[in-house]
Amino acid sequence: MEKERFLSVDCKSPDMNSGAVADQVPRPFLDLGWEQPVHHDAQFESAISSLVSSPSSNPSAGNGSVVVRALIGRFGSICDSGEISQTSCYSTPLDSPPKLTLPVLGHQQQGGGGLPMPGTMADGQFTPFAANPGFTERAARSSCFGAWSYGGLGDQSGLPVARNLSRVPSSHLLKSAGALQMGVPDNGKDASKSNPERMEMEMRSKLGGGMPPSSTSGRTMVGGSANNVSKRKAASKGRGKESPLSSSNLYSPTAAEDEHPDAKICKSAKTNGADKDSVVKQETEQNIGASQKKGKENNAKPPEPPKDYIHVRARRGQATDSHSLAERVRREKISKRMKFLQDLVPGCNKITGKAMMLDEIINYVQSLQRQVEFLSMKLATINPQVDFDLETLLQENMHQEHEPLPQQVYPLEGTSTAFSYAQQPQGSPLQSAITNGLGVSQQPLCPTDGLADATSQLGNFWESDLRYVVQLGFGQSQGAEFFSQSLHAD
Amino acid sequence: MAAEMGLARSSRHWSRALRRRLLLLRRGTASDGCGCQNEALTSSKEGGDLGVGANEEEAVEVEARVRALQRLVPGGEELGTERLFEETADYIEALQVQVSAMRTLACLLDELREKRG
Repeated sequence: MEKERFLSVDCKSPDMNSGAVADQVPRPFLDLGWEQPVHHDAQFESAISSLVSSPSSNPSAGNGSVVVRALIGRFGSICDSGEISQTSCYSTPLDSPPKLTLPVLGHQQQGGGGLPMPGTMADGQFTPFAANPGFTERAARSSCFGAWSYGGLGDQSGLPVARNLSRVPSSHLLKSAGALQMGVPDNGKDASKSNPERMEMEMRSKLGGGMPPSSTSGRTMVGGSANNVSKRKAASKGRGKESPLSSSNLYSPTAAEDEHPDAKICKSAKTNGADKDSVVKQETEQNIGASQKKGKENNAKPPEPPKDYIHVRARRGQATDSHSLAERVRREKISKRMKFLQDLVPGCNKITGKAMMLDEIINYVQSLQRQVEFLSMKLATINPQVDFDLETLLQENMHQEHEPLPQQVYPLEGTSTAFSYAQQPQGSPLQSAITNGLGVSQQPLCPTDGLADATSQLGNFWESDLRYVVQLGFGQSQGAEFFSQSLHAD
Repeated sequence: MAAEMGLARSSRHWSRALRRRLLLLRRGTASDGCGCQNEALTSSKEGGDLGVGANEEEAVEVEARVRALQRLVPGGEELGTERLFEETADYIEALQVQVSAMRTLACLLDELREKRG
């Protein structure tokens, strides 16, 4: 489902099994990847990976596959709610070929994820994705980060799966995570044990009781033995943590992947396998990251029993009344998010100051929006567009929100594609749909492409056809229900 | 517009707001145009030359930029700062993926056209 979102950019979706002209050549590879929206994401991922590995002449194929998997994960992570694979699908791409992932990511610097220049397009289809090396990291971090809010929304359906996945990495990862975070391998068992717990508690506080995503469980299995202090610092900047590297020996040397601190946090939180909802204790960010001595102070703190509210530890010399504490928590959350945004926006590492940072972010968002606009114009000129029925597509998601059904539908089409749709061998339900569609009151078409009147009938024919086929692609029950409603709506 | 439809698929707040906006557009209601965005930026720039010392002035600056960002991100006007940043991050990522997907597509279609002659 998510995949077709990107192909809905003025293009027919391969989900439709269209014989559309424009899709002939790219179809083979598009099909592999984009075909099965509802199926298990592992299939999708393996299809994509086989697809990616096939253009093997591309030297950065490894990169490409990694980044594509990250993209897949990204798709999954921005899946509609209610899908369990929201988190698990992100883990599978990275789970399956950990060895492939790690050395590749080890070379990637965070923050280098600028948009690929058009000039790189000549190298191959996946070069644009491959040229976005930092994307995997950001996607990982964002899915972990974003899923914090998902957890807060109580996406309970995802929890059992997440929990199962989290069982796998166990104590050794916990220790290593703790040690990495502390950066002091010889601090003693207490340090390594209590720190992951502290991280975990902090994680849980952000979840608000939800389960942290299992998205990074697979990745953390292989571990992040980044041997580069600067890399880890860069990666951890998004989380506002200091993580000096000295305990990389805990991880296997093959794990050259640059693990994110928040990924470790996600994982360490999961490894405790907590099913409880409440957060134990939330440490302030600076406590963990800022100084070692503060960390040592907190080492001896035993894990507290789960409570119903969030404790915030006051720092030395700070006011302890509830207002300022809450204020501080809020400020720290905001600054954390600012740092995350800083990682997203290329070239923001040198900029300090909230205002300048926000300026850059605003500029970046604007430029992205302009690019999207420009590219959609360009795509519109390249080939005759078959635009999806906007209302239909949006209704898929709006249905739960009880939006009124659209009364006017204005698909754009090219005649050839319309014919191809009309010839779908779908059987009797479709034929009845078609006849019903024709019986529906004639609705004017948007004359955006200068369609002749002769095609208007065809347009209606195709429109109802398309509506039905779209619904077939998106789930039988939902589609049938929607279709019957739309038929009776008029 | 079609690209926006692709963006409007996710279940995030900004995506839902984008869907609402697109539906309104379809139904012919007037909607905010791109001019708003530039306006947002220029207004935020105005506060950019203040002196360094005063925290209040900085706060005002920052506030102006936050408002500009709210106008940029669909649905951002209803969100608090914290949520706004979350949505912004997600929105940026979605835009990035959308842009790269569209670039790929455009390139492919170009090649296809050339091959067809």
